[in-house]
Amino acid sequence: MMNDSEEDSVTTITDNLLLERMSQGDVASFETLFHQHYDRVYGLLFRLVGNRVEAEDLTQEVFLKLHQHAFAKNRFSLQREHNLSAWLFRVATNMGYNAIRGRKRRWQRNMVLVPDPQGSPNAEREVERREQETAVRNALSRLPERQVQLLLMRQMEFSYAECAEACGVAAGSVGTLLARASKAFRDAYEEETGERER
Amino acid sequence: MTQDDRELQEVMNQLSLLEPGPGDVPKPASRALAEVQRQIHAPRSTPLHTFWRSFFANSNRRMATAVALLTLVFAFALSFPSVRAAASDFLGLFRVQKFAAIAISPQQLAVLSRIAEEGLMPGEIEVLSEPGATHSVASLQDAAQAAAMDRVRTPSLLGDADTVFVMDGGQARLTLDLEGVREILTMAGADPSLLPDSLDGTQVDVVVYAGIELDWDDGTWLVQMPSPLVTYPEDLNYVMLGEALLQALGMSPDEAARLAQQVDWTSTLLLPIPQSTANFNEVNINGSSGLALSSLDDDYGAVIWQQDGILYLLSGQGSVNELIRLANSVR
Repeated sequence: MMNDSEEDSVTTITDNLLLERMSQGDVASFETLFHQHYDRVYGLLFRLVGNRVEAEDLTQEVFLKLHQHAFAKNRFSLQREHNLSAWLFRVATNMGYNAIRGRKRRWQRNMVLVPDPQGSPNAEREVERREQETAVRNALSRLPERQVQLLLMRQMEFSYAECAEACGVAAGSVGTLLARASKAFRDAYEEETGERER
Repeated sequence: MTQDDRELQEVMNQLSLLEPGPGDVPKPASRALAEVQRQIHAPRSTPLHTFWRSFFANSNRRMATAVALLTLVFAFALSFPSVRAAASDFLGLFRVQKFAAIAISPQQLAVLSRIAEEGLMPGEIEVLSEPGATHSVASLQDAAQAAAMDRVRTPSLLGDADTVFVMDGGQARLTLDLEGVREILTMAGADPSLLPDSLDGTQVDVVVYAGIELDWDDGTWLVQMPSPLVTYPEDLNYVMLGEALLQALGMSPDEAARLAQQVDWTSTLLLPIPQSTANFNEVNINGSSGLALSSLDDDYGAVIWQQDGILYLLSGQGSVNELIRLANSVR
């Protein structure tokens, strides 16, 4: 069985080969990368924006950006190793936050990470679940973006190396940063649920 | 397992509430990929094309962007060139010599967006000739000829542009409807009584000249065009209009009144910049005043300046300082 970092380096090498082929105009490589990363990019965006349609649209935007960078702008230098996963998740996080900010602008909401009010679940249990989900989102909205990204990526079982690269921190500091983010989340969640009960 | 690990695990469990449920499964990757490929192969809009279209080139968009248009008309009406200075004693004419940016808060932007969505119009807009059609041309000489400019200015620090476009000019007339303008101002939180009754029916003509856009494959682009021309009745009180505009953009009445008196409205193009999208600062390009903008969302920036009656907009990836360096090499 491979450990985290071995698996990462295999993925990175494969991605780099595909990126190299993409830069030479190979459309099939783009398709392969799309299929490889689609679910996880969508998963991260769904957790951020809380809405299927919006997360699907944003996922497509992320891959359009990848295409633009690789084909039209040749941004991925062949001489350099790239961690494509990290790049994709960084772009996805930025886009997710932009979408939330846009939603805030449209609706004049004060909270970040508010779930889009799609559907109206009637079942009591579902209502309770949605309330908990809202409390989690509201708690996350009190945290800096990098902490949110780190927590969500780890919850999605990204490796420390991927988290580090996507968040722009040293791999060795991920554990400490996660512990700090986790504490910040628990404090925010307590405040959130305390405020709701008051 | 340490205490930290246990606490982290608890948080991970709480965060699992955000996972997509059975009803949140995305469309199949193959379908999503097909949609992405359709977008990739859709006809390309050039940045210049998009720039103009977002203002008034497209009729559907035009009807839906009353605020953008209002801002544009105010900005243009308070700005333009003296090309026709001798044309009439009865018309006011302005030239862009400098730029001023005003930051718009997310809250005010939401208000303005809502006004736009409601389709409120400041009057009747008649497009006499539609601007925006973009043509690719083979050389800089062809571009200069098509745009009726003496020559095309290029940044000496960059190589030849990979693509050259010319965009057609156009002409539009706005006949102000005082009631409409006051309604927009009221919704925007500005004082509608700032505008005198005599404003009703005022005609403002906007002429946009053909422009040239140079694109480089690294994502850098440069747009250049003669200053658009705006003509309006000589007795139009532009200080009062400026004050109303500043209030509509979110300034307090006191601030708006003070700034409206300070701004030289005959030579300043006002650029409203949403606070949440970009930072800006004043810069000097080849001895002329300009503005540098850096996007907060990604690493793109832009520099806008005017020189010898030509407006320039340079945009690209990288630091703003690098863009300023490129802008200073435009000759």
